[in-house]
Formats: sequence, C-alpha cells, structure tokens
Amino acid sequence: MIYAKPKCSPGGDRFMLMEFGDELTLELNFFSQSLARAALDQKIKGVIETSPCFSSLSIHYEPDEIRYDDLRKELLRLANSLGNSGDVEVESRLLYFPAVYLDPWTAAAMAEYREKINPEKKPDPEFVAQLNGLDDVAQFVRVHSGSEYWCAALGFWPGTPFLMPLDPRCQLTAPKYNPPRTFTPRGTIGMGGGSTAIYPVDGPGGYQIFARTPVPIWDAQQRLPEFESQLWLLQPTDRIKFVPCSVEEFGEIERKVEEGSYVMNITDYQKVSLQRHKAWVEQLDISTRF
Amino acid sequence: MLEVIKSGLETSIQDYPGRMGFLNLGFPWSGAMDSWSLRLANILVGNEAGAAGLECQYIGPTLKAQRDTVIAVTGADMQAKIDGVDIPMWESVALSAGQTLEMAYAKTGTRGYIAITGGINSPEFLGSRSTFHKAGVGGMGGHAIQKDQVVPVAAGHGTPGRKVKASARPQLAADKHWTVEVVRGPNDDWIDEPGHERFLSTEWKLSAKSDRSGFRLEGPDWTFTDKAHNKLPEHGSDPANIIDQGYPVGAINLAGQTPIILVSDGPSMGGFINPYTVPQCAFWKLGQAKPSELLSFEVISVEDAQRKARDINELCSEQSVA
Repeated sequence: MIYAKPKCSPGGDRFMLMEFGDELTLELNFFSQSLARAALDQKIKGVIETSPCFSSLSIHYEPDEIRYDDLRKELLRLANSLGNSGDVEVESRLLYFPAVYLDPWTAAAMAEYREKINPEKKPDPEFVAQLNGLDDVAQFVRVHSGSEYWCAALGFWPGTPFLMPLDPRCQLTAPKYNPPRTFTPRGTIGMGGGSTAIYPVDGPGGYQIFARTPVPIWDAQQRLPEFESQLWLLQPTDRIKFVPCSVEEFGEIERKVEEGSYVMNITDYQKVSLQRHKAWVEQLDISTRF
Repeated sequence: MLEVIKSGLETSIQDYPGRMGFLNLGFPWSGAMDSWSLRLANILVGNEAGAAGLECQYIGPTLKAQRDTVIAVTGADMQAKIDGVDIPMWESVALSAGQTLEMAYAKTGTRGYIAITGGINSPEFLGSRSTFHKAGVGGMGGHAIQKDQVVPVAAGHGTPGRKVKASARPQLAADKHWTVEVVRGPNDDWIDEPGHERFLSTEWKLSAKSDRSGFRLEGPDWTFTDKAHNKLPEHGSDPANIIDQGYPVGAINLAGQTPIILVSDGPSMGGFINPYTVPQCAFWKLGQAKPSELLSFEVISVEDAQRKARDINELCSEQSVA
C-alpha cells in the first residue's frame, strides 16, 4: 500500500528515514527518487545527502543547521508539493547481462554455507521456486529471466543495484539468509524480499543466490571504457535484462573483460513512462507465470 | 615522507569526516572510527582537525622520518617510542630525519592515531583521503599501508611540547565494559516491548567477527511485534526482513537474529531492520572497544545525541591544548 502520509523516523543524530509505502512499484520508486532530488535541488537547509530506495528515502542532515523536527516538516511539505508523480517519463538505458543460471559458482558458495553455518539450508533455486509455487527450477529460471529489471537505487556497497522486475508476472519473493553468508562470488545474481541484486565483488551477503554474470558492474582496474570516468557502471533508471548463457560463454566473456576487449551490450534511446507502465500492468493477467 | 618499516596489523590513512555525500552510490563515509582522538592529534601538530592521519588497529606500525617533522600520538596506548625511547601520548613531539617511530600492541583501547605536521597528502578519491579497503579506494592504492611504502606528507609548521588537557581526552573504559549511547529507530516499532527491554538490559559481547564495516554483537534472541510477522512477502518472510532501505551510519542492523552495528565502512542500504542507531557521539567508544569486551546500551533522545556530538566537537579545538 501507499501510506496516506509518509512515515518519518530518526536514525541517530544525523539521519531521518521517510517511508512512503510497503510495496515495490515503479510509482513509489519514482516518488522516492524525485523527493531525494528535490531535497537537494531546493537546497533544504542542512541536507547533506539523500539515499532513496524502492519506497523510502534516507536523509543525512547536519544538526547544527537544522533541527530534526524542522527537517521533518520541510520534507513533508516538499513531499506534499510533489503530489503524485503524475505523467512522468524518464530516459532509461537498457543493459543486457549474459548470466549463467543454476551455475557452479553460486552452488559452491551455497555448499560452503551448508557445511560451515547451516546444514539444513535448502539449495536456493529449489527453495525460491517452491516458495513461489513454481513447477521446478527450470520455470524459476524462465520467470526470473523473463522481465526487464528496473534499477531503483544504488547502495549496500559501491555501485550495487537494487532491482525490481518491471513485469509483475515475474515478481518473486524470498526471505533473506539467517544468518547471512560470509562469501558470495563477484557477479552473483541473487534476490531477497522482492528485490534482485548483482554482487559487484566477492563478499558477504544475505540474498538467495542462483546465477552469475561475467559482466563487471564495478571495476577498480578500469579495464573497460565504461569505467574510465567512474568505477561503477549503473545508475538509477537503468534497466537490466538477464540473458541466460552457458558456462563456456561465461568463460569467453570473462576472458574478454580481462583483456579489455569486451563490448557491453547497452542501448540508450528509450524512455520509461510511469503512466504507460501503470496502464500496461493494469490490463495484465498476473495470475499466470511464464 | 614517512617510510613504512613495519605496517602494523592494519594501519590505514583516515581523515575526518570522511567521504560524505556518496551514500546514494553505495560509498560509506569511512574516516577515523575514533575521530575525537584523530582530531586532537591533528590540532596538536598544527593541522586542520580533519586532516588525514594514520589509524592503527591492535598493533601499530614502525615508521622512519625522511625529514624533520612533528607528530602526535593519541587514542589507544600502543607504547609509542622514538629510537627506542618512550614518548608521551596526547603531546606533540619532534621526529627528526632518520629517526624511527615505533608502535607496539594496544595496551588499552584498540585504535591508535598518528598525526603528522602538514597532514598526509595521498590522492583524494571523491573528496576524501580515507581508505575504504574493501573497495580498494582512498589511502595509498586503496589499501592499508604496506612495508616499504613511503607515506606522502604535505608541508606544514608544527611545535613540539603542546599537550591536550586531561579533561579534553576521551576516557577509555578501564573495566572492559562500555556504556554506548543509542537513539531509538528508525525501525523500533518492529520490536516488541520485551525485545526492547532485553536489548537494553543485556551486556552484549563484541564478537571477534567485527571490523570497520560491522561490529557483531553476541547475546539473546530478539522478539518482534505483529508488524514483523504480518507483512507483504516483498519484505522477505523472516521477521527482521524489510523492503530494502537506506541505512543510517551507526545503525544496529538486525541480520536475522544477529545484531551488527554498521560502522564507518558499513553497507549503506539493505533489507534488514534497524531498531536502534548509535549516534556519532558514541563512535569513539566503538573505535576503542575490543572483541570480547562488553557493551551495554543506553537510550538517549535525538536532541541529547546532537548535544553530545556538539560537546565533543567543541573539545576538538585549540581550547583543549594546554
């Protein structure tokens, strides 16, 4: 649902969290992103940085410049003045990511977790398929790779995208690991709650994991031209399409990335319209999966 | 112009307040964990309070000066010596060309700070010299200092013999037990009253699996309100799961049943609830607490947390120098 009034709560002495609803919709994300931009553009006193996500906005402020109560009032006023995002259209790149689903690398990370932390943990793809009422892991792969994903935010670790499927027929949900994994290989694709993410580097993680892409989204070595001016690839408003590939293709792409000759598959001429997306979603029959 | 003879356990270049302004790209602030100590060290040697210095964890480095300069050592007591002779902490000291500053293990506290006149002038990344080694950015080559590297230092003017008044220094816990201030929220309404009472009455053990990105706490399980159980599946079904959100720096992040304090190099966003947040005024305590030491939490208001941070900021100034 979308809350009638945003819910504001303090995060220590320098943060305020605003929550606008508790669902994953393009509308709520557009709103979070617009309010984050407006707070900076209108130079609200004391606002240092904003961190919007699917349906919420975290604000870092300087308490020497604005009191918490005044910040809350200012942001609520600004949120009101934005109203609903109406007929918004934004430019949106589409990036194709080859990905090995049910790959050997995430399988090894799951095996390590079972061995060291929780022997009861079911393999993630089977677990997510079952939880979402799918026939089998083959259908899980079909459904997960069946939609374009909207980059709603960057966060967690530099350049990490928080993604949601634009096609509600591909919406899946899953709990996060408890406790989290200590190791996840770079390029792993995973999901938790209704969100999908790509892990930019090796590291700990809490999402269910089931695929891996050889295309880097973070590159401190700047091997490809996309990383010449910044070390991360993605930005909010990007769309990502995962294209299932084989382990052999993965190896070949990885080799090209290493030598700096890989050509990223990116198109950049389209726009995403909130209204048109909403109208399209409304007429879909979401009771059946692919 | 400090030659690294021994690197210490993990000695990194850090400044204050760090790399602020890029949480929406996923960059943490980084910066000194005990910025109170770093700032006072800088003031002693004639630098801006926020200049880049060295943060030494558990075991400090051995460094050889390539030109005459002035240094100050603050924070954890790492038994600093110059050419084998003990030097005082919280005081600016001359370090001549060819002399060696040697730090050992931390006798009290965990993180020692070294400031040097002029400040370290390694390249800035997104406006800060602070090292965020997990992403390989900031510092020198993105990592803790290494043996045989030379740490670059800007020109400056320092005076030996300047001391920080005893009353202006952070007081390290002598009994391995820390009382850490917390502010309720942002997701405090996911925890039920017994859960809050348990959190506040428990002495939590700081886990050995703690580093500059997260401090894991060992203690009892948490209990939740209805909100945590009856929710849309987009949150994830575990009670501590929430639709991904921006995390405050200092959040006490409940990863399943494991509370992790998200400190200076912590993740900026994710899908676990944050029932409490450690405010900036208590970060120096986290910076000086050792694994297996005990932490108790004391709730204060947003305004009190802001006032306490202001009090520390005022102490981090020339008025604290005797």
